Amino acid sequence: MASVLIVEGSIGEILESITVAKLVGGEPVVLAYGSAAKSGDLGSIGARVYKLDAIHPDPIFNAVKKLYEEIKPIVVVGHGSKNNRDVLSRLAGLYDLPMGTDITKVVEASDSYVVYERGFLSERAVAQEKVPLPAVLLVNAKVFEPASPAGASEVVELPVEEGQVKLVGRLEKQLSGINLEEAEIIVGVGRGFKKKEDLKLAFELAELLGAQVGATRPIAADYKWLPEDAWIGISGKRVAPKLYIAVGISGAPQHMAGVNNAKIIVAVNKDKSAPIFKFADYGVVADLYQFLPVLIKKLKERKGQ
Amino acid sequence: MGDIVVLVKPALNPDMVRTKPDGSIDIDAIPLKLDDIDANALELAKQLKSALGGKVVAVLLHKWGSPARRNRDLRMVTQEALARGADEAILVSDEKLADGDQIVTSQVLAEVIKKYVPEYSLVLVAEASIDQTTGQIAGRIAAKLGVPFISYARKVEVADGKVKVERDVEDHIQVLEAPLPAVISVTQEINEPRPPTLIQIRRAAKKPQKKLTASDLGITPQPKKEVVQYRILTVTRKQIIIEGDTLEEIAEKLIQALEKEGVI
Repeated sequence: MASVLIVEGSIGEILESITVAKLVGGEPVVLAYGSAAKSGDLGSIGARVYKLDAIHPDPIFNAVKKLYEEIKPIVVVGHGSKNNRDVLSRLAGLYDLPMGTDITKVVEASDSYVVYERGFLSERAVAQEKVPLPAVLLVNAKVFEPASPAGASEVVELPVEEGQVKLVGRLEKQLSGINLEEAEIIVGVGRGFKKKEDLKLAFELAELLGAQVGATRPIAADYKWLPEDAWIGISGKRVAPKLYIAVGISGAPQHMAGVNNAKIIVAVNKDKSAPIFKFADYGVVADLYQFLPVLIKKLKERKGQ
Repeated sequence: MGDIVVLVKPALNPDMVRTKPDGSIDIDAIPLKLDDIDANALELAKQLKSALGGKVVAVLLHKWGSPARRNRDLRMVTQEALARGADEAILVSDEKLADGDQIVTSQVLAEVIKKYVPEYSLVLVAEASIDQTTGQIAGRIAAKLGVPFISYARKVEVADGKVKVERDVEDHIQVLEAPLPAVISVTQEINEPRPPTLIQIRRAAKKPQKKLTASDLGITPQPKKEVVQYRILTVTRKQIIIEGDTLEEIAEKLIQALEKEGVI
């Protein structure tokens, strides 16, 4: 049976990628690095596992290359994390392999090709592409059901083989530690908020609803009014709450791509022609500075009843 | 000592998407623009130039459809790259290379660098493009050139033949060091590109520009990826605007709607 090489830095991602391996009909062989290499669950996923104690790309690339040459997989699959995109684009360049990225759906799979879908034109469009095998496939999170752990695995530790790029330091990011991916309700904030202090309106609304607060790129990455792990969008997090309340958000596709999977989307924006209203189930055309206090008051009354 | 190559993509402008009546994307009708993060890469090149002592060379490849229909757009993107700090520009445009995949793109760009900018010390690439957003060109080119690769740079310093980079990973920043030459992919957070001034735009017209074809590079393109279709994303939201005479009434109605949906 043909092999599928799975390359991942987290254990949850390994289980989703095993599902992809089954879709293309190959036997999964796993390279686990970073936190995945340290996971206690590694021994029970029911696949051949190689673990590597490394967090920066050169040693991961060297291990991937070695395994690729050894097992000659029909597909190399992983999630689109920064480390994966780094090392697997190098692998694709080295062997001129086609590489599909940010895959949201596998349309068709056989032992000689795969057809998949992905976002195109900053997620305003969908591209359906066909690649011959062998190929590299990077999948989006939460698109594929995680496989259930299928029994004992043989775990082999690989030696760390450094390259020319050396890791000489590590800086921590200011993070909130909230897990937006798991949140049931999210209040999203955008540039309609004029200053950082005003975000307290959003936090008050979130507290009443038991929600978390997320943000667009400018708020989280440029102005740094919120920690970076609050950033929702193509380059930030992709979330799937049952309710997303977008406040002062214009509705740029790069942001909306991150909330496509929300069950219900509410938009509050004072500009009635803002694109966000096309992406929303319920829209309120009003100044957030006037509307949020009223909504908060009404929600408090409802709670008090 | 060495030149800085900045890869510049004439990208489809996602703010001007055009469709055909059947919902497929009308690629030829979408204007091209200088890709967003390429402006950050050009800005970085301008800052690093004096430390490396060479020139900044913008390398562009036309990839969408027949180049003959795109002359005006391609000229504008090339001019903008020069106005944003490139000292010269090399544009590869050839009917034969149109609509190629990332294998073709990386072969072409690596070949241009080897043949026309052999004294390079850095190749700067945007972390991803705005049209395709695959984020795989930088890594492919590093592998083809056989030089060190550092991705997702938020800060870049060069000294003593080495480059030191702060690399963004999801939950932390890695400080990495590599010998030159190297390929680096840059993030949008690395700097704030200044729009070119009138003087810079005027000077750009006088800077050297070279045009290359597939045969200049000795490349016969063999793409492997096939596009089955491009179609517009259809939105299936309810799009109900809640109206009322007062904000209180609107808030009431919104709360009722959300209760009915069972989401609060």
